[in-house]
Amino acid sequence: MEELGKRRPGELSQAEGLEELKQLFRHHIESFDYLIDEGLDLMLKHVKPCRQAKISYTGSFYITVCFQYDGGVVIREKFNFGEFPIMLRSKRCYLREADPTKLVACKEEAREMGGFFILNGLERLVRALIMPKRNYPMSVVRDSFRDRREGYTDKAVVIRCVRGDLSSVTVKLYYLQNGSARLGFWLQMKEYMLPVGVVLKALIDTNDHEIYKKLTCCYSEKNGEVKGAVGTQLIGERAKIILDEAQHLALFTQEQCLQHIGEHFQPLMEGMGEESYSAVADALLRNYIFVHLDDNNDKFNLLIFMVQKLFSLVDQTSTPDNTDSLQNQEILLAGHLITIYLKEKLEDWMRKGKLLIEETIKNKSKNFDFNSVKDIKKVMEKNRAAQVSSAIENLLKTGTLLTQTGLDLQQRAGFTIQAERLNYLRFISFFRSVHRGASFAGLRTTSVRKLLPESWGFLCPVHTPDGEPCGLLNHMTSTCRITSNYNSQGNIRDFFKIRMSIVDVLVGVGMTTSWPKVEHAGPPQVLPVLLDGRVIGSLPSTEAEKVVAHLRRLKVSAASVIPDDLEVGYVPLSLGGTYPGLYLFTSPSRFIRPVRNISIPSVDGKNIELIGPFEQVFMEIRCPDGGNGGRSNSFPATHEEVSPTVMLSVVANLTPWSDHNQSPRNMYQCQMAKQTMAFSLQAINARADQKLYHLQTPQSPIVRTKTYTKYCIDEYPSGTNVIVAVLAYTGYDMEDAMILKKSSVERGMCHGQIFQTETIDLCDSKRMSDQGQRIFKREHSDMSISSFVDSDGLPHVGQVIHQDEPYCSTIDQVTNSKYIYRRKGSETVIVDYVAVDTKNKNLQKANIRFRHPRNPVIGDKFSSRHGQKGVCSQLWPDIDMPFSGITGMSPDLIINPHAFPSRMTIGMLLEILAAKGGCLHGNFVDATPFSDDTESESLVEDLGSKLRALGFNYHGTEVLYSGVYGTELQCEIFIGPCYYQRLRHMVSDKYQVRATGQVDQITRQPIKGRKRGGGVRFGEMERDSLLAHGAAYLLHDRLHVCSDYHVADVCSLCGSLLTTTTIQPPKRVIREFGGLPPTKALKKVKCLACQTSKGMETVAMPYVFKYLVAELAAMNIKMTIQLNSRAAA
Amino acid sequence: MDGVSYQRFPKVKIRELKDEFAKFELRDTDASMANALRRVMIAEVPTIAIDLVEIEVNSSVLNDEFIAHRLGLIPLTSSRAISMRFSRDCDACDGDGQCEYCSVEFHLRAKCMSDQTLDVTSKDLVSSDHTVQPVDVGGFENSDRGIIIVKLRRGQELKLRAIARKGIGKDHAKWSPAATVTFMYEPEIHINEEMMESLTLEEKQSFVDSSPTRVFDIDANTHQVVVVDREAYTYDDEVLKKAEAMGKPGLVEIYAKEDSFIFTVESTGAIKASEMVLNAIEVLKQKLDAVTLSDDTVEADDQFGELGAHMRGG
Repeated sequence: MEELGKRRPGELSQAEGLEELKQLFRHHIESFDYLIDEGLDLMLKHVKPCRQAKISYTGSFYITVCFQYDGGVVIREKFNFGEFPIMLRSKRCYLREADPTKLVACKEEAREMGGFFILNGLERLVRALIMPKRNYPMSVVRDSFRDRREGYTDKAVVIRCVRGDLSSVTVKLYYLQNGSARLGFWLQMKEYMLPVGVVLKALIDTNDHEIYKKLTCCYSEKNGEVKGAVGTQLIGERAKIILDEAQHLALFTQEQCLQHIGEHFQPLMEGMGEESYSAVADALLRNYIFVHLDDNNDKFNLLIFMVQKLFSLVDQTSTPDNTDSLQNQEILLAGHLITIYLKEKLEDWMRKGKLLIEETIKNKSKNFDFNSVKDIKKVMEKNRAAQVSSAIENLLKTGTLLTQTGLDLQQRAGFTIQAERLNYLRFISFFRSVHRGASFAGLRTTSVRKLLPESWGFLCPVHTPDGEPCGLLNHMTSTCRITSNYNSQGNIRDFFKIRMSIVDVLVGVGMTTSWPKVEHAGPPQVLPVLLDGRVIGSLPSTEAEKVVAHLRRLKVSAASVIPDDLEVGYVPLSLGGTYPGLYLFTSPSRFIRPVRNISIPSVDGKNIELIGPFEQVFMEIRCPDGGNGGRSNSFPATHEEVSPTVMLSVVANLTPWSDHNQSPRNMYQCQMAKQTMAFSLQAINARADQKLYHLQTPQSPIVRTKTYTKYCIDEYPSGTNVIVAVLAYTGYDMEDAMILKKSSVERGMCHGQIFQTETIDLCDSKRMSDQGQRIFKREHSDMSISSFVDSDGLPHVGQVIHQDEPYCSTIDQVTNSKYIYRRKGSETVIVDYVAVDTKNKNLQKANIRFRHPRNPVIGDKFSSRHGQKGVCSQLWPDIDMPFSGITGMSPDLIINPHAFPSRMTIGMLLEILAAKGGCLHGNFVDATPFSDDTESESLVEDLGSKLRALGFNYHGTEVLYSGVYGTELQCEIFIGPCYYQRLRHMVSDKYQVRATGQVDQITRQPIKGRKRGGGVRFGEMERDSLLAHGAAYLLHDRLHVCSDYHVADVCSLCGSLLTTTTIQPPKRVIREFGGLPPTKALKKVKCLACQTSKGMETVAMPYVFKYLVAELAAMNIKMTIQLNSRAAA
Repeated sequence: MDGVSYQRFPKVKIRELKDEFAKFELRDTDASMANALRRVMIAEVPTIAIDLVEIEVNSSVLNDEFIAHRLGLIPLTSSRAISMRFSRDCDACDGDGQCEYCSVEFHLRAKCMSDQTLDVTSKDLVSSDHTVQPVDVGGFENSDRGIIIVKLRRGQELKLRAIARKGIGKDHAKWSPAATVTFMYEPEIHINEEMMESLTLEEKQSFVDSSPTRVFDIDANTHQVVVVDREAYTYDDEVLKKAEAMGKPGLVEIYAKEDSFIFTVESTGAIKASEMVLNAIEVLKQKLDAVTLSDDTVEADDQFGELGAHMRGG
């Protein structure tokens, strides 16, 4: 309260909470920064009012292309690659360093965090996608592997290799029934399998003995079945088979293997038609196999490791890795997606350019000199460079990738979404959401949707929608971050250096570095050490724990070269568990979160360690609740959660006392918080969003969590503190209906409006011919619309516009024809503002914003913050509401007590209790879940005694009197303030009613669609129920009379419905009878087939029937109708 | 029916009377009477409030409806209201509600010329009738400024004409003169002294403390439990439950007197609290008159149907 009071109006809240907020958006922006820093030289051109003008926020994109002639001097030439979309508040955005004051001056939100793009005036962002963890060989068991080819099993080891430029290639190592293995990789949309022996030999110059030794080193006879042994004696047999396969192909040396590979793949490798076989094979190994590694020795070692892991999987000495668990996943971010897409588009451009030059050379045109850069440039210009940028823009606009290779991604569409600003929580959630991928949405199995323990602390268990995307669309917890290419100081990381220093540190503590010819023992004696998918050595397993602890210490200490977000995935020896080893990751786009490392002494609170989901599984982290969480003493906790609420997302964290609610209710609240009408935007006057919901007088909740203050949700409050009474009153509160007090609503409670913008763009006309001819203008003589439209053709601000009234007028200067825009829809609106493009002399574009008043009416939806939604059923007069004899207070809202027993939202009861005490004492109440820090014995005791101290009932109940009779109500009523949200679902937008109106042209039945004034379908099931009731008249009325009632002429002679025709009565001289109206000429009908009008009868039938007859006739099916009078029948 | 009269003569005893606050006792009547009085005070005592706003210029941050709504909720001094006409049945202006008998015109012009934010308040409303003015919200911090309508920054302007009309709270809350109107039954508390004496001092203290409001106390000299403020009792039954829990049911007996009520009336400032009560009685009388007038007439049958015959005693 004090905080709020102190702030002077107009003053911006500086700094406070901004940092926290920034953290939430960081991963989007950093990924884009990376794109800019790494590859691009973007030139900033034009900037802001894109939202208003409905254009895209872009910058000119130049690339310096280097020409080099046969080792000659490099010539640099700049090419314009068109307009490249820019992410807001990224490094190339002019708002990058802007503080709130500048942002406001730029007509932006004071807390604009960016992270999205503006395309055609719409704010769009790239949805974060879950990807398999990069550079980690994963054991996978999948039935579909069996169908690859004859002899394949369902087991494989899969690794998604990611290059420095973020493009990735997935390689699979399949196990064959005969004990051998095949290395599968994708090339030009097809998968090719190579025998492992051939690849091993092709990679380095080695011999069968060395390979055999290498493969079998992980097995030693004396190990037997001790803990952690992964090799079995079968491995020797298999190694022989692998080597035999190579021998059968008569491949003995590296050169032979390369020749063999090259021979087979030359036709497939583009542009290598003239190269030697070994060069082709080299390129293949370089570009398609283990692309994250440059050195063939490393590739060899990794392949050996993978073969060992595969055999261990087959022998069941280790378990398969779960691809659905967060442990084996990372994230795909906006900048990274654009990077790989851009890379492909640029490669395309280069390829096309090359073809063009080659063609020109072939044509031998006279005025072309290959040695002249100018000529080359001329040719290159034919190859439109701007389409590279427009491809990116299209990706962001539509979310669709247009690619031949697929970029190693699982989906082609649905990459971007519109960032709706319905309310701030919804907006934030877009940036915190992580999708599992569109390909999983159609999956019949539910295993991908499961909430797995591995995602603890990274993905919120509460904040996922129910229904179709449940479990696929998750939200990151409030403390979860994504590693990036930037370190904590904001400098770009040199991963090579980091890796070198990590190797140095590890060698220092006893790691043996790996060399291709040196064989290591395997687990359980030593553990393999992998750093970003490279086998860097091995470590005695007895030392491992010490080494891990040492690494963690270095991580935390600021002075060390070890990055603070290094993931130390130590998989200990186990009996048939995950394949043991020490897996280190420094790569970007991993999930990380802070926990407290309690095994190292805290130096002024600096013991926060960033951990990832891979290592978390094998760590001992305790909850700071004082208990040990059922941990056995042999594994003492080494880490501690920062706070118990870190497992919740920002939105889930806002539910007060969510720990007292039944869990699905908290999920519902997360959904409803995002569809609440709230204070939408502070810069609302500078915006032209298509639709904005705005709450007129929002309030700050009395009961709030720490997160509420931390992220300054007060800047965008989303509800009202209303006095709620829980009682069954009048019956209008049955079944989740609720009664609002009429006078409270009249005093402004939950008032709101919808802003809706219409853009009129005269350039956007369908006919190109009349471009520039139309202008905004009203004819001076046209008085009929002068009260609505000003002489400039635009409406007056503040003008009330009813249905079909004009709001805009244009005139074609050439043809002088006018066009008047009229308001559609039955609703009365008010012109809120009119924005025009002042830069252009000739006005061509105008945004007209309408305001729809949306004050609460019967049928509007409201909800508390505990998943307790309800519909307003009555606006009940003040005098009839129950009132308290002592205070005279009557509730603003009445809900039914039946809302509680089955839903068990105790949090709501606590909120009301606390809010009552809070407002009586004049302070806000902290309702952070899991923070049981009250002095008294229980929370209720704490809240109750506060009420008691002020003479109120301990349990929050009061004696109320009936407003109608003035007598005391039998029960004491639970009453108090509760924060209520107004949801965006309002009857005014939904009601549908029709008596008569438009009908379908073909069937003559009423059309559908609320917008067009259509009807509600009276469907088959509805028909069935009427039949069951025997309500024949009603049925006839609904389905015939009120639908397509038609009186048709039928020829009773031939029974045809189609051959009837009306005969035009011959034009007679109209004889005027004195004063009498001319007699209506009788309609004469005759049958064309029978050539007579004798048998003509009229029959009432649905018009569709006639249509059916016509359709059947078109198929040469004749339908005849037999008529007879009822008496004859 | 004959001769037997159920007529009672309710008495009112005023306890406290300020301009916007009144507390009085109403005795010798029943709940229907008391509640009728309460309901009329809230919903049917007429006041004057701004009902129609014509906005000429509005470049403030708030939209037109928002400002109009805020203007409507400003309480206007409405002592004249009872003698004014409802604009819907005003003959002088044929119901367009803009004549002096049924309306009061207000003007507001404000423009911010300085860098300082300008508060437009109810003080800026210029009335055409000196008896109808925005109320003086005295007694609060910065109360000399009036009720803030909107804040203007440099260059923003607000210019409007508003028509205030007579109305009742039933139609819209802005016409309700009542901030709070409530009544409670007067409690009657009997302490069973004999039983009470059987309690120890601690037990007595815990009994006294069991009520969240200070109803009982212990006499410092005699150590007897005495009723200090019986009206502080909220009918929450806490002490009864306590007595039950102590194994002494019937330690105290509390009844609500069915025929006496304590009223608390707070006014918005539009009319004085006393006027509110008197006007309410007046309105109530008029309503009863409407019933008596139509008594024994044919119209009564039209108006009340079967009820009419019932009222005639048939």
